[in-house]
Amino acid sequence: MGLASTGLAASSLAAATFAAPGTGDDGSIVIKAGKVITLAGDAIADGTIVIENGRVTAVGKDVKYPWNAEVKEYPDSVAFPGFVEALTNSGMDRANENIDVAAFLNVKDSIDPVNFYFEDALRAGITTINVQQGSQCVVGGMGYVVKPVGLTVEEMTVKPNSGVAMSATPKRGKSRSTQALALRRAFEDLRLYLEEVVQDKRDGNDHATREALYQGREPDEETKDGRPMGGSSWKVDGLELIPRWELDEKQAPLLSIVEGKTQVFFYCSAPGDVHTAIRVAKDNGFLDRTVLSLSSSCWKAADHIKESGVPVILSSTLTHVERDPVTGEEQETFVPKVFQDKGVRFALRSYGTSSRSLWYQAALCVAHGMSRAEAVAAVTTTPADFLGLGDRIGTLEKGKDGNVVLFSGDPLSVTSKVEYVVVEGNQVYDRSTDVRMRHLETGAQPENTAPETEQGTPHSHEEPEVEDDEEPDAGENEVEEEDHEGHEEHGDDDNGEN
Amino acid sequence: MLPLLQLTLAVTTPACAAPLAPYGLGTEPPVKFAVYADVVYTGTGSKYENAMVVLADGKIAAITPGVEAGDGDVHVAAITPGMVDLSAHIWAGGNSVEETEEVTPAFRVAGTLDPFSRDWDRQLKHGVTTVVANPYDNNCIGGLSVALKTGGAPTIEARTVKADVALRGAMGTQPSSKNHPAAGRPTDFYSRRPTTRMGVEWTWRKAMYDALQAEGDEERAFDGLPELLRALDGDLPVFVQAWATQDIRTAIFLKEEMAREGKPGMRLIIDAGAEAWREIDLVVRTKAAVVLPPFTESGRTTDGAFFAADCAAKLHEKGVPLALSSHNARTVGTYLEHQAAYARRGGLEFDAALAAVTINPARMVGIDDRVGSIEVGKDGDLALWNGTPFELTSRVVGVVLEGELIEDPRGE
Repeated sequence: MGLASTGLAASSLAAATFAAPGTGDDGSIVIKAGKVITLAGDAIADGTIVIENGRVTAVGKDVKYPWNAEVKEYPDSVAFPGFVEALTNSGMDRANENIDVAAFLNVKDSIDPVNFYFEDALRAGITTINVQQGSQCVVGGMGYVVKPVGLTVEEMTVKPNSGVAMSATPKRGKSRSTQALALRRAFEDLRLYLEEVVQDKRDGNDHATREALYQGREPDEETKDGRPMGGSSWKVDGLELIPRWELDEKQAPLLSIVEGKTQVFFYCSAPGDVHTAIRVAKDNGFLDRTVLSLSSSCWKAADHIKESGVPVILSSTLTHVERDPVTGEEQETFVPKVFQDKGVRFALRSYGTSSRSLWYQAALCVAHGMSRAEAVAAVTTTPADFLGLGDRIGTLEKGKDGNVVLFSGDPLSVTSKVEYVVVEGNQVYDRSTDVRMRHLETGAQPENTAPETEQGTPHSHEEPEVEDDEEPDAGENEVEEEDHEGHEEHGDDDNGEN
Repeated sequence: MLPLLQLTLAVTTPACAAPLAPYGLGTEPPVKFAVYADVVYTGTGSKYENAMVVLADGKIAAITPGVEAGDGDVHVAAITPGMVDLSAHIWAGGNSVEETEEVTPAFRVAGTLDPFSRDWDRQLKHGVTTVVANPYDNNCIGGLSVALKTGGAPTIEARTVKADVALRGAMGTQPSSKNHPAAGRPTDFYSRRPTTRMGVEWTWRKAMYDALQAEGDEERAFDGLPELLRALDGDLPVFVQAWATQDIRTAIFLKEEMAREGKPGMRLIIDAGAEAWREIDLVVRTKAAVVLPPFTESGRTTDGAFFAADCAAKLHEKGVPLALSSHNARTVGTYLEHQAAYARRGGLEFDAALAAVTINPARMVGIDDRVGSIEVGKDGDLALWNGTPFELTSRVVGVVLEGELIEDPRGE
């Protein structure tokens, strides 16, 4: 699992801070930390983590390790498992294509390894990221689980084809009803297509048969590559006659979904969307492979979600604010608590850059009355499970990936900083050489660089606000900008106060 | 400290401390009730463990350490003074900037504030009990700011702590942002000065020189003259918005110029001094106070100013009077408590962070006789926390305003 040497000359800045080749790039390292939080038992004071070939081989106090191991001692630091980002639309070119049903797309063709998002995720201690298409689709393409290390997508890959994005949130230009219709149609069209293909085969009208006859030979016996339709909902008889590779590449991914072979991440930006999503999933047999990605207003559908048994990924805005139109009183609902109280499994997404990352979201959960263990699970073990990687990431245990974050203190404290990050046994981040972080913290301008904005540039003045009419919740699952300032909660703007 | 000791003795021993139950909405507030905390941070540098704060007639009557809370009492992890925000952007209506003139020192923002704006509740709910409302910075010199409580009877008069606490103005690009030069566009009402930074600075200097020359001369009196003279004499602090280095320098040099003209007493408070970290020596030399704007993730702010994360820590280290502000705080993570948390993240120590949102801002505008710390005789304004303050793992869960429990932490 060590990072392959790429032979590319990374910039000296990047190499020092975020580095592939460096010491110990063979995926083996021994970390001794003042406190080791494993999330699989009690915290260990003065603990040791032994990682060999990218996997943890031992965690404990006074564990043995090879005589020639590279040992890093951090007596003042707290070791913690790498955070897991359950879902993101960042790090790519654009998050969606224009067409409605685009299940044949794959984010691996879009992920940009040098995108700032990955650099910043690593800085914040996120070591595993599920990159998915956005919500501007009906059925989107396939996602990938990556680590924010590496100069090619292949190097970054942790798990390819992690699941398909679907949206019950209306795509731009659609209403809720046309979106729901389009979702149904996608699968109806699949069914019609499969029936047509089977019928053609039976009639001898399929391409292979016709070509064989045209060439004057017997139709090939290719049906051995076919298999009956799987899945737990509707079926098309006779699909075993069709070799799978003959199926239209645009329809094949949908078939895979219906057969329950593909994880589905279903975007919902309103409580009503949740009902649509669950219905579509039930009707097409993939409810047990579905994870809902919710915006904050969807807490109102929590009961229905509980009934259906699907887990959820919450949007980065954890507090949902609603204003009573009569009294003007604002009601705040802390969304994760609602799901926790109902017993629905949930994972969190980071809110912004490293100062408002997954640690921040977990800390807010604690502030709103959840236990530390529950809050931390939502950014480590729970998203690991959702991605089918529960046996590989999320805790510091023997046999799991060697992803370790070293904090200067309590990981959830605002004053703690990520000092080092180890991914699959290689130390790939060192805060002391992070020039961008130093610039943010102290204003120190790196050598031979110019300030980003010129002095005196009129920039985002806080004008006296004219309050707009209430907008429909536009869905937070849209393309995320790299600059996460000024996070606006859609749907909270109210009528003009004048 | 003496009054505290006397009253501690006068207040009953723990065994007899049976405070009256806090009131509910719509009932008469009791004369006296108490709140309990594992730690009470007074804002004066002291803290008391397992303490009780007794409120009577809207004021703090006693702080008693070593007391057990009873069942049903309000008992939280920590109590701090109710916070003070000098630059909270309270809604004052859409058209509340006087656009016919750039220099309007006599205008009072108090007259335009909306007492029913949600901004009040938002601040109050998150532990900010006193704010200073300022005229919008679209004018060079916008007028007089007012210090108010964020709750209580919904009238400006009832909420006012102190009227005319500062003369507000701005440097930089905002004051001239609507004006444009005559060329290239049809001439209209906005074809006038100032259109540039130097025009803004000239407007300030002109106002000050006009005031100097009109002093004592009744013939030359003009609207706003008394306020300008009070500002020059240091009777009224000058609260200037200056984000970028060059604007901070302009404000400071203006003060020093006025000193050379015979008015050395001007008191300067720099608002939104995001780049004050670049000009600390100047700030110290001129004894200016600084109010910092909200933290930003990228460090980029208005007017191209870069807000380094350790700005607060650096200023504090040099002894600059420092306050934090939240501006338009309406989303999670931006409230004043979070500004203090992020200041800590940038290296500001806990006591200094607490002071920067309580006693320091109160002192800057001269309302520290009433608010800013938990001391006997001051207003009964408290923020109740469910953990260590200014950490993201805890938050304000209760608020006491002038002795009344506004947000009840037991409702959680």
